[in-house]
Amino acid sequence: MNASPSAAAVDVSGVSKIFNPGRANQVDALLDVNLTVTPGSFVSLIGPSGCGKSTLLRLIGDLTSSSSGTITVNGKDAAHARKDQDYGMAFQQAGLFEWRKVHRNIELPLELRGWDKAKRRARSEELLRLVQLPTFGDHYPWELSGGMQQRIAIARALAIDPPLLLMDEPFGALDEMTREHMQAELLRICAQTRKTVIFVTHSIPEAVFLSNQVVVMSARPGRITHVIDVDLGERTNPDEVRESAEFFKKITEVREALRGAEGGHHFGVDDR
Amino acid sequence: MAAHVPPALPRADDAVRSGAAALAAAADATRARRRRQMRDVGLGVLGVALFVIAWQGIKALGGADSTVFGWRMPISTDDASMPHLWTVLRRFAEPEVRGNGRTVFAAVGSGMWFSFRLAIAGFVIGVVIGLLLAVVMQRFTILERAWSPYVVLSQTVPLIALAPLIVGLVGQIRIGGFQGRPWMSVAAMSAYLSFFPVAVGALRGLQSPKPHSLELMHSYAASSWQTLLKLRFPAAVAYLLPALKLAAAASIVGAIVAEISSGMAGGIGRLILDYFQKATGDPARVFTAFLGAAALGLIVAALIALLEKFLLRNRPKTELA
Repeated sequence: MNASPSAAAVDVSGVSKIFNPGRANQVDALLDVNLTVTPGSFVSLIGPSGCGKSTLLRLIGDLTSSSSGTITVNGKDAAHARKDQDYGMAFQQAGLFEWRKVHRNIELPLELRGWDKAKRRARSEELLRLVQLPTFGDHYPWELSGGMQQRIAIARALAIDPPLLLMDEPFGALDEMTREHMQAELLRICAQTRKTVIFVTHSIPEAVFLSNQVVVMSARPGRITHVIDVDLGERTNPDEVRESAEFFKKITEVREALRGAEGGHHFGVDDR
Repeated sequence: MAAHVPPALPRADDAVRSGAAALAAAADATRARRRRQMRDVGLGVLGVALFVIAWQGIKALGGADSTVFGWRMPISTDDASMPHLWTVLRRFAEPEVRGNGRTVFAAVGSGMWFSFRLAIAGFVIGVVIGLLLAVVMQRFTILERAWSPYVVLSQTVPLIALAPLIVGLVGQIRIGGFQGRPWMSVAAMSAYLSFFPVAVGALRGLQSPKPHSLELMHSYAASSWQTLLKLRFPAAVAYLLPALKLAAAASIVGAIVAEISSGMAGGIGRLILDYFQKATGDPARVFTAFLGAAALGLIVAALIALLEKFLLRNRPKTELA
């Protein structure tokens, strides 16, 4: 948004995160992590359970603080970027407020920033068209299916039009069919809005299908072991892409990277 | 951004379908709710009928000498201890004092109105104090740990032991033109009982938002005040309502006990005391006052139920039954 196009959208350098340092239950969640995300790219973080991929995402979002190293988001330190709302966040649980109608859920970040009512509503209408649920603004979240709720959560994350989206397994709770559909939808939305996305997932096919870069991490201590570039083109026909040789080749590559990272195992990673 | 939004078309179909299914399910839920309401009314009527049958049945079984087939009943069933229910109902229509115009019904009614106002005053004060305590304890965890033993302790001290103390204290209050009056001490005792469930329930409710909801607010750089207003309070409503039910009932009990122990005239508490003193001559009359007190409890419970219906009108119907 404010940064020049050449600058990194996110720059993580030498970051470590240690929980309970110096105590018996000390956990080295992340050790010396370096990662540069270029503007407009879609980067997936994948790795076994406990590899610290969610922690890394939360560090970038300034939802937790690092033990050492520096994190720059949009040219500012992470805390600054959070206060300036340089990113939108989506979690595995859609996390919509059940007492607010869909419109007012999407408007929540705008409300907190003091936008006036008419402007908020106009923005919400626009976003509902973007996520293709234009007639659902006056419903309550609990009247919607899981996939629809997740679309609303994405709309809410996009409300203030941040340059960066941080997504923590947003489709993890959805069934397979809905999940694949949502992946295609997310790509369409990202192409339209030109967002940079950092996406945490357990699923190798999901990571490969969505990303320009798949970042493979190992557990204990959490470390980046491989960065695999993926280029599946425009992906306007998702089914075709999911049956292509290149797709399978990349899945194999990521799987082998994970196996290498785990020393022969890859517990906690879905092959779906 | 989002300048070239395409018209929402084919892809939204599945979403619309599942939306329609969700709405159909909501309609089903409405029908089920209506059936439940009918059943509740039926059960209520049945409950009253069973009570009447049990009361009169036990009375008929024991008779005037409280024995059945020569065995002594565990309770007295004579007219002095268990008057016929219709005697009690008939008593409502009779004048309170022979020759005086006011009926027992009017006396009980005015006593209920008097106690009701005191209880409501106490309830409101109790709710405000309970909410404030909960907000402060949620905000400052250290205060939760420091205060909660005293909050619990406050309820283990019998109200009757405190009553003279509170009456004395409130009576001495003189701030400018303001002077403590007896009704205020009754309201204070009522508040003393009702703040507790509100503080406990509200605290749990304020702490109920899930971590991801709190992180979401944090990611929006929301202030703790904004988080309180937009997330914690709305999330607490479902926890607060059961607490308000308890508080309302407690405020009635508090008011009646406080009236009795402070000797304050005009309310249902004093009426129970008065009618008890005349119980040997007119046992049925005591029960009119009992019924008045019970009705008062039902009325406040109904008021809270209405409030609940209003506050939860737009919530999913399954949560926290």
